[in-house]
Amino acid sequence: MYRSAAKRLLPAFYRRRQDAVSCIRTLAADYPTRFMTSATTGNIPDQNPIPVNPIPPSSNPTDSTASSSWKEEERTRFQDTDEKSSSRTKRPKAHYKDEEARVLGASLSHVLRLGWTETAMIAGARDVGVSPSIVGSFPRKEAALVEYFMDECLERLIDIIESRNDLKNLIPSEQVAKLVRIRLEMQTPYISKWPQALSIQAQPLNVPTSFKQRAMLVDEIWHAVGDDANEIDWYVKRTVLGGIYSTTELYMLTDSSPDFRDTWVFLDARTKDAFDLKKTAQEAQRLAEAVGAGMGGSVQGFMKRVFTG
Amino acid sequence: MATLVRSVARSLRRKNLSSMYCPASTLQSHATSFGFKDIAEEEKSKMVGNVFTSVASNYDLMNDLMSGGLHRLWKDRLVSKLNPFPGMKHLDVAGGTGDVAFRILENIKNVKRRAMQDVLDDDLIEETRIYVCDINPNMLGVGKKRAEERGFGLEKSLVWVEGDAEALSFEDNSMDGYTIAFGIRNVTHIEKVLAEAYRVLKRGGRFLCLELSHVDIPVYKDLYDVYSFSVIPAVGELVTGDRESYQYLVESVRRFPPQEQFAKMIADAGFQKVEYENLVGGVVAIHSGVKF
Repeated sequence: MYRSAAKRLLPAFYRRRQDAVSCIRTLAADYPTRFMTSATTGNIPDQNPIPVNPIPPSSNPTDSTASSSWKEEERTRFQDTDEKSSSRTKRPKAHYKDEEARVLGASLSHVLRLGWTETAMIAGARDVGVSPSIVGSFPRKEAALVEYFMDECLERLIDIIESRNDLKNLIPSEQVAKLVRIRLEMQTPYISKWPQALSIQAQPLNVPTSFKQRAMLVDEIWHAVGDDANEIDWYVKRTVLGGIYSTTELYMLTDSSPDFRDTWVFLDARTKDAFDLKKTAQEAQRLAEAVGAGMGGSVQGFMKRVFTG
Repeated sequence: MATLVRSVARSLRRKNLSSMYCPASTLQSHATSFGFKDIAEEEKSKMVGNVFTSVASNYDLMNDLMSGGLHRLWKDRLVSKLNPFPGMKHLDVAGGTGDVAFRILENIKNVKRRAMQDVLDDDLIEETRIYVCDINPNMLGVGKKRAEERGFGLEKSLVWVEGDAEALSFEDNSMDGYTIAFGIRNVTHIEKVLAEAYRVLKRGGRFLCLELSHVDIPVYKDLYDVYSFSVIPAVGELVTGDRESYQYLVESVRRFPPQEQFAKMIADAGFQKVEYENLVGGVVAIHSGVKF
């Protein structure tokens, strides 16, 4: 319960942190020759919509001193001008992040017609009565829309995992296949535009985020199956499932069978292969252990004989 | 003796400025600054007006000479950050010569050519309005002339307005974008300009400010200081015969609040997601904010 709550917060957190990081990264990559720096003033009050700040305040001492001196200035300013303080009371309650989410949510309905483009986002902004100008402030434009969609889908998947009990009765391989299918079915309304989304995710600047989102998705599925391995197996399992997910996603793009029947057959086969592979790997491991033990025994015997003899 | 004291005082003041500490309180005291000179509030706009009346005719040539042509790139960057769109209502303040306005217009027409499938776009592009507002009629005159030279003479989208950035004649919530390039430094009350910008913008509208700012990189900063205090006034004198105006220019840059502080002033005016980006190590900074 606690974990899923944390997970739900995480996508938003990741998105936020990614914004700050990617902003700088974008500049560095786009204009390496122009010698520039960038910064976000993060500690402006009333700007952080989430009360729990994951970054401890002590990590940035210079910032906090800056903000305190600013507050002093502000106080003197209050005394100075009365009209200023009256305008401050009218400060809006809307938060930038909420508005961004609202605009992106509305933009999704235009994706089918306009693709994962700025045009769709401009249309979305018009729908919710926000100036389309706001699109210019999204750090990586179209990527923001695709990433928003990925986060939404992940949240929906988490909801489904929590609410549906029939999934728990399935054997692990079926469970995995089922969850991948549920997730991929969320993409079916946009299937004609999905190649464009994939190409946006594959752009060098967007790769870190899309990779992270996929990793979180795969992680979520393995947890739902009840897997808590924490050794090298952890990496193997996630890599294998990531592979299954991505290949099925690609298969789906060219699948013209009704209701993507071929895709689901393909998915079941790949999952089964993977679980078979796991069994094979375990058998091979046991065999290797047995052989190793046997070898070790004979070597030990040999050494003993050498030293005694 | 008296001269010695005066020179010490002057060198102290220089030092103080070079440390770039410039609290907001000094900016809104009743005495305001004209370059390094402290003058009465009422005089500043008149004196700035004189500066721009005198430099208007050679404004573009001097911009090119002083920035080595870089000001074109800075303005391009400003417009690409603005991300204009068809149907936009935009206000460019202190943009008398039309540099930023022309770029926005060209960008919108480009966007249209980039095969936007939306059929509504043709109507929308007709609705696009870019208001160029400047307090100085001479600068507006230069801009109108250049619009004709560029073939924008009959362009309905460009509207030239003579007006004060501290008291705009536009309605509340009427603009999608607000830009001010190399202008906010010259106003008497920065807070009033920001408040006006906030007032005229729609929800989701963006404020962008391109302004000469403060360099913080050790050796580079010294080079920049030498360049701005020795080279620029000399070049200004050579080209326009008016040294004082360019002396004012470099001094007013030093009196402008540093990046962080200006960002806080913008946030204080009510803007959200306030960010800034330094170009060429801080010679110029682009500040941006969103209204909600």
